[in-house]
Formats: sequence, structure tokens, C-alpha cells
Amino acid sequence: MEPTILAPRKFARLATHPLWRGAGVTTLYAILAIIAIIQVFPLIWLLFFSLKDNQEVFNLSPFALPTHPKWENYTKVWTEGNISRYFLNSVWYTAASVLLTVLLASLVTFALTRMNWKLKGPVLGLFMVGLMIPVHSTLIPLFQMFMKINLTDHPLSIILTYTAFNLPLTIMILLGFYQSLPREVEEAAVMDGCSVNRIFAQIVLPMTSSVVATTVIINMIYNWNEFVFINTFISSDHLKTLTVGIQNFIGQYTTDWGAIGATLMISILPILIAFFVLSNRIVEGITAGSVKG
Amino acid sequence: MVKKSLSIVMTVAMASALTLAGCGSESGSKSDTGTKDGSASSSSSEKVTIKMMHLWPSGSSKQQNMIVNDIINEYQTANPNVTIKQEILENEQYKNKLKVLSASNDLPDVGMTWAAGFLEPYVKGQLFAPLDDTLNDGLKDSFVSGTTDAYAIDGKTYALPLELNITPIYYNKAIFSKYNLEVPQTYEQFKQVVSTLESNGVAPIALGNKDRWTGSLWYMYLADRLGGQDTLRNAVARTGSFEDASLVQAAQEVQDLVKANAFNKGFNGLSNDEGKSEFMNGKAAMYMMGTWELPNFTTNETVPQAFRDNVGFFKFPTIDGGKGNIDSWVGGPGVGLFVAENSKVKDEAKKFVKFFVQKWGEQSVTKAGVIPATKVDTSKVNLPQMYIDILNELGKASNITLFADVQMSPSVAQVHLNMIQALFGNEVSPADFAKNHEKALAEQAGK
Amino acid sequence: MDRVMSNKKMIALYVLPAFMLILALIYIPIVLTGYYGLMRWDGIGAMAFIGLDNYSRLVQDADFWQSAYHSFLLALFSAASLIGYLAIALVLSGDVKGANLLRKIYLVPMLLSSVAIAQLWLKIYHPTSGVLNSFLTSIGGSGSVEWLSNTKIVLLAIFIPIIWQYAGFYILIYYAALKNIPSSLIEAARIDGANPWQIAFRVKIPLIANVAKVTVVLAIVGSLKYFDLIYVMTDGGPNGASEVMASYMYHQAFRSFDFGYGSAIGFFLLLICLVITWLIRKLTASGDDIQYS
Repeated sequence: MEPTILAPRKFARLATHPLWRGAGVTTLYAILAIIAIIQVFPLIWLLFFSLKDNQEVFNLSPFALPTHPKWENYTKVWTEGNISRYFLNSVWYTAASVLLTVLLASLVTFALTRMNWKLKGPVLGLFMVGLMIPVHSTLIPLFQMFMKINLTDHPLSIILTYTAFNLPLTIMILLGFYQSLPREVEEAAVMDGCSVNRIFAQIVLPMTSSVVATTVIINMIYNWNEFVFINTFISSDHLKTLTVGIQNFIGQYTTDWGAIGATLMISILPILIAFFVLSNRIVEGITAGSVKG
Repeated sequence: MVKKSLSIVMTVAMASALTLAGCGSESGSKSDTGTKDGSASSSSSEKVTIKMMHLWPSGSSKQQNMIVNDIINEYQTANPNVTIKQEILENEQYKNKLKVLSASNDLPDVGMTWAAGFLEPYVKGQLFAPLDDTLNDGLKDSFVSGTTDAYAIDGKTYALPLELNITPIYYNKAIFSKYNLEVPQTYEQFKQVVSTLESNGVAPIALGNKDRWTGSLWYMYLADRLGGQDTLRNAVARTGSFEDASLVQAAQEVQDLVKANAFNKGFNGLSNDEGKSEFMNGKAAMYMMGTWELPNFTTNETVPQAFRDNVGFFKFPTIDGGKGNIDSWVGGPGVGLFVAENSKVKDEAKKFVKFFVQKWGEQSVTKAGVIPATKVDTSKVNLPQMYIDILNELGKASNITLFADVQMSPSVAQVHLNMIQALFGNEVSPADFAKNHEKALAEQAGK
Repeated sequence: MDRVMSNKKMIALYVLPAFMLILALIYIPIVLTGYYGLMRWDGIGAMAFIGLDNYSRLVQDADFWQSAYHSFLLALFSAASLIGYLAIALVLSGDVKGANLLRKIYLVPMLLSSVAIAQLWLKIYHPTSGVLNSFLTSIGGSGSVEWLSNTKIVLLAIFIPIIWQYAGFYILIYYAALKNIPSSLIEAARIDGANPWQIAFRVKIPLIANVAKVTVVLAIVGSLKYFDLIYVMTDGGPNGASEVMASYMYHQAFRSFDFGYGSAIGFFLLLICLVITWLIRKLTASGDDIQYS
């Protein structure tokens, strides 16, 4: 693809002028800072929200702290119900499905972009169709199916469903990256007599670690916050997840918003930490990859 | 090493995928799930597990949840062979799951349903068991007369109600006295109150009409006061027409209220919770809602005492020339307990439901502030004055019209609710409002 | 090379696990949805076969087409917003100071569940005490806009949080893709005297074209079946003014108990997504990846 766009060139000439550059850089940083403030506000808002009672939630400005922060919202959330159990379930359903999804998706994408076979197009198409079905269309069929094989109210129903529903998205994202990976390393490896498994596990997987980290983050967030499948397939309290903790405070006629805020705050912390750790991997992954590539 | 662990994961994944595919291929037919029979009645020594689904989580409905647990414990102690397993979901999720379970013929043994229009598809699909034997087994007289009728279809009763609510207009006494306002007795006076409040910059009525049934309450009262208690009911039951002059007139009155700025700003985009908060924080003077709100105006400690002391209620005023009666209410029984027709422990479940309804009736109002559908002897219980007043009103009610969206079948109810929102938003004329209802009702009747 | 990478057994091993999972958990529901769409069924009682009646009703259903129009608008806005996200990712992946921290902050809202995002935006849009109206008043505006109840603006008002919600998702993907570009290529361009604009438009963007194509598909398909915030914030109202296809489907199936019709809508939605995806891939196909489309 030969870029024939004119506008960038004109800008480019302007951008090189030192004075313009100085002003440009300042504006750029100002814009970046404003966006950063906007993006971090929700978290601060959520913290404040979690310290209010219903009266304050509706009366005070969203960015005002109540005079008496209601820390008891947190104690209420911790003592009410089975939150530590929910927490563990959330962690293990999320971890298992993320692992399974990213592994299976990597294998498929590897086969689609690196191996030689017919039917690649149709198979990719079949995976992509998975993106297109609205969740609520699948509930009744899936429930009936799990019921037939005695998997309702079983963690597997959740893990398999999460995996299946995230596979298409994950494959799509991986695909874009695999297509732009250089092939020289693998070719050399094949010459050296490497097996397919070794090429996948020891060459390609490390080279794609940044996109793997990306898909892990995306999958993790989706699974962590999911509640429609959990509510539908799981009925035992000891198998439910943190999203159920939110429902605990939604009543028939009234809702305890402060407690919901506290639950949301508690449930965002682990994922925030995981995100910050994984987020570094995106950069590190590249460095490792580019050394090899 | 890498290779080995990889292949293990692969095997597991393969195995599970294959199992799924193998079994999944036959999931298109749902016939063989219905082979359970209700005959496996329990001899008292046999271990029995009753699954129960309800919508009172411990977080938001602490008292209700506690009573449920108490009743279950008491029942299990009295019947050591019985274990009752609860599943709790919030309102919306509860309704969705009930739907999925019904489609899969896998309802819990005992669960909660709403009356009339909500109940009907389940009864027609033969998923709920008739409870007349339980009702006639000494339970009938303990219900407020007429409350079980809302759960009856073709002469059989399919659920036993736990709640009974009516819908007064609550008002803020402090605001009323500030502007020298009296509780209105007629609709003319009511409109006067609205206009005084409005001209003083106070939102006269708190309303969150995103939920739509909230606005429907206003329409229903106007229809009742103008056309009498039967006009709307007949239109829904197809013995009358929705294009009846009084039903169109009621729609016109709603729009007149909107034009007079009777409701808080932006009500069509606010949930009931948000609308209510306008009343709770003293910005709006009146709020029409079911008596399930009573705890917030009496016993709820998280609401400031000063505010609670200032809340009173009045009945929707009568309209000159209208056929309605001031003691006619909008309201009705709320959730009721059903027993699944395909339950394997049907008899045990019925016994438990009977026990539950009785025990619930004894404690729900005192402990949770929920007015039960069973009779409450006000002389024997210690209740806040507002409860006593409401229960007295309930005693002398000439009529209780069931909430319109519950009366109607689910699909007509959706048309009604959307039309309500359009009516309040001035996007449909009163005539078209009636015409659309008539069309939906006629279509439904034709099916 | 060819022999190793054409090993049928290996290909099957790589593709089949994911494929079986998709087949069972996504295709069975799709087939059943198509089947239910041919029935009159309230989801509870007996089914009655009515052929294509649901579809002929769909074609004449003005409410459905209105919701479809809304979904298409959302798809258009989402696709357009990608340009902004790509720009942000380009800036962040360049040598901006503090890019690492900024990137993490930018992605924080992505971690919030829809429940939290909906609550936040409800507070922003509140007609009397909302942040937006307070702000408009403070800068001299009327500040009495009824964001979510005015049928003329509710749709745009609800699009903003939806598009914002996915900002992190796309920035993350673009960022990872940009970081995946071997630094040697950028270095070479710089030595040749290219300025940052030229590097962005002539090196970076062409190199992540595959990823960009994927995001366009994801944004459009995701928008067409979008449900979450609409459901919580407006429930499709007032009177259908913010209804989209997926919420309309949900309302028909779960609220109106018209599961047959709801399934027909779900299936039709799938077909629309298929056609559009096919079009996008045809339009964006380049010699490099034509084999997959």
C-alpha cells in the first residue's frame, strides 16, 4: 500500500517548524492530561458513590463527598452473604476461561495463518459468525443443552460458555497480529527440523506475547463482569460470583445504591491490579519479540 | 515440559468439546424432560428437597429475607425429612430466569409469580399446579376476600398471594403548610394545589416514568374517577372498548397535568428510584406509589426522622361528573407463591406453601412492613399510625383495580406501558393512545 | 516447510477443540434460534409452526425498523470513533513522556462494569442535578436539557457513553499493534529523514492495517448487537426513541413473551451482521489477506 495522502505531508512540513513544534507539544500534553482526568474520574466517582447512602446518592453532586462517609457500606457488603466465596468463584471462573480461550484461540489463529490447508476461509467465517448472535437468543437453547448433559448449576457450564463466546473475538484480534508477523524465524526453525508444536510454543507464542496480554486483559474484563449467564445457568449460592453481590442489593421496590457502589469498588480492585500488571507485559512482550524478530 | 502440559490441556479441551457436541445434537427436542410425575408423594420418612426461588435478597430486603429463613427453619424443624433449598435473584433477573426455566420445563418446586396477565401464559402452558385443594383446606378465610381471585384462571387458583398493596398519594405536610395548602378533596382542588406549587417553583409531583408503570398509576386513577371502576377493566377483558369516552378523557387529563408542569422535570428519563428521590429530598410535594413504600415514611432509620414525620397520604380525589368513588383504589396483590405442576414433590411443596402463607401473614407487616394478603388484626399488632390508617382504608375499600400492566397479557402490557410513556411525553394524542390500546387488545383477543 | 505445516493431524489438533466448542455452544443456539423463529411460541406453552409469518411481520414492523435504524447509526458512530482512538494510540505509542502511565489511566473506564457506567452517566445526564446541566448553567447556558427524556436527543445522549465505554478496548488493541511494529523499521524511516507524521502515516498505519480492519468489523458488529447500557439507562425509551435491535429483541422475547418473534429478530440480526461483515471484508480486501475472506 503506497500512501498517496497529501494532507499529512503538508502537516508534516508545518510540524517541523521549531516554534510550531513547541506550541504543538504543549497543546498535545494539555489534551492528553485532560483526557487522563476524564478517564480517571469514573474511578473517583465510584469511590465517592460507594460512601453514600441513597439520600446522598440522589441529592449530592456525583463528585461531592458526603459529610459522613458511609464506610458501613463496605462492612455491609463484607458481612452480607458469601462474598469471599463469590470472590474465589469469580477468580477461578475468570482464570480458567481466559486461559482456555486464549490458548485455543492462539492455536486456531496459528493454524489459520501459518499452516497450509484448504477450508481456511470457511472455517474463519464460521468462527466470525460467533460474534454476531445476540446473547439473549442463546439463553434458552444453551440452558436446555446444559440441562440435558447435567451441567446446569455446574462451573463447567460457565467456563465453557465464556470460552465459546469469547473465542471469536479473541481469534479476530489475534488474526490481525499474526498476519503481520514476519515468517523468517519459523522458516528457519522448520529448516532446523523443529516440530509444529515447538514452533508454536517456543517461537510464535513468545513473539505474540503482547497481543496475548491484550486479549487476556479483554477476556478477563468481560468474564469478570458477566452476570447473565451466571444467573441463568447457576442456581446454587456457593457457585455464584461477585456480580451476584450487586444483585443482593437490588430490591423489589428499592435499591441500596451505596452498597452496590461498595460491591463494585471491591470487585474492581483485583481486576485493576491484574490489569496494571498485565498492561506492562504489552510493552515487555514487544521488546522480547522484536529482539527475536 | 511446555509440550507436555500443552497436550494435557488439549486433551481436556478436546474431551469436553466432544462430550458437548455429542450430547448437544439432541437438544433440539424438549419432549423428554417432562416425564417427571407428581405422584412421588412423600411418606414422612422419605428425604425430600424442595427448591424455592424468590426475589428477596438479604442485602436489599433484609427483613423479608429473614422471615423467609425463619419460616424455612421452622418448617424444617417440624419436618426433619424436608430440606428447602433457596435460590434468590433480583426482580428483573428473576423474571428472566423464570422464563428460561419455563421454556426448559425446569421450574423450581415453589416460586414467586405475579397475578393475572403475568400468570396466564404459565397456566396455559400447564406449568403451575392448581392450589384450590390447599386453599380450601382452611386457608381461604384467612385471605382478604377477593385477593386470590387475581391468581385464578377458569375457576382455579394457581398461586397464593403474599402481598397486598394500594396506591395512595403521599404528600409533604411541611410544603403543604408553607403554601397554605389543604389536602384536596376534588380534582379541581387538586389542580389548584398543583398550580400553586408550580407557580412557587416547587415540583408538585415526583414521578420517574422510565419504569412506565409509575405513570400508568396516574392514568388508572383518572380512568377510574372518570369512568368508574369497571370501564378500564371491561376494556381489558374485552367486554368493553378502550375507545370509551372516559378512557380517552383520562388520557387528556394526563396531558393537561403534564402541560401544567405537574411532574418533576425530565420524568420520562428517570427511574422510579430517581423520581422518588425528588420527593424524599423535599424538592417535590407529592408522590403516588404503592404502600410498599410505607417503611420509608415510618420505620426506616436511614430516612431522616424529620422527613418521615412530615409525610401524610390522601386518596385520589373524585372528579365532578365522573363515575368514580373515592374509596376505589388502584393496587392489588403483588407476588404470590406457585407450585410447579411438574414438581416431583408437589404434595410436600403444597404443604410448605400453606405453612409459608400462614406464617408470613403473621409476621410480614410487623417485621418487614409488608402488608400481607392475609387478614391483619390491627387490634393485636403494634404498628405505626400510618399503617393502621392504611389498613383501615383497605378495610373500607369499595374496589381495588389491579395494576393495568398486571391485568393485561404481557404483550398488551408492553403496548400499554409504551403508550403511557408516549402520552406523558406528549407524543401521542389521547385518541391515538386509546386506539393503539384497542388495537393491541383486539389482536391479542384474536390469537 | 510445506510438509511440516501441512500435517493434517496437527491442523486438526490445533483447530478442532475450539471448533467443537463453537459448534456446540454457538451453532446449536443459532440453529435453534432460527427454528424458534418459524414458530409461534410464548416460550412456555406449545409451539406452533407458522412458517415465515414472523419474518413477514418483521418486514412490516415499523418499530423494528426504527430500532434497526438506531443500531445502524450507532455502528456508524462507533466506526467513526475508531479514528480518534487510533490517534490517541499513535500518540501514546510515540515517544511521549509518561506514555506508560497515561496509557494505563486511559484504559481504566474499560474495567468498569456496565452497571457502574450506567449509574455514572445517569448522574451526568440527570435533568436537575446532573453534572452536564450544572456545567451548562455555569457557562451561561439554559442547563435544562432533558437528555434522556427528550425523544429527539436521547439517542445521541446514549451513544456517547456507549462509544466512550469502548475507548479503552480499541486504544488497547491499537496500542499493542503499534508496539508490535519492529522498532528497526521505525528507526530506518527516521534515519531516512521522515518526521513523526510521515512515520505515522507511511509506516505505522499501513503496518497495522490488518488490525485496523479487524477493529472496524468488531465495532460495527458489536454496535449492531449492542444491548447493555441501553437496557440499563433508558430501556429503549421514551417510547422506543432509543430502542436498538437487541433491546427490541429482548423486549419481544422476555417482556412480551413472544419468543418466536424475538427469535426471528435475533436470527435476522445475525443475517444483517453477516452481510455487513462480508461487505466490509470485500471492500477492505487487499492482496495480502484475500485468502481469508
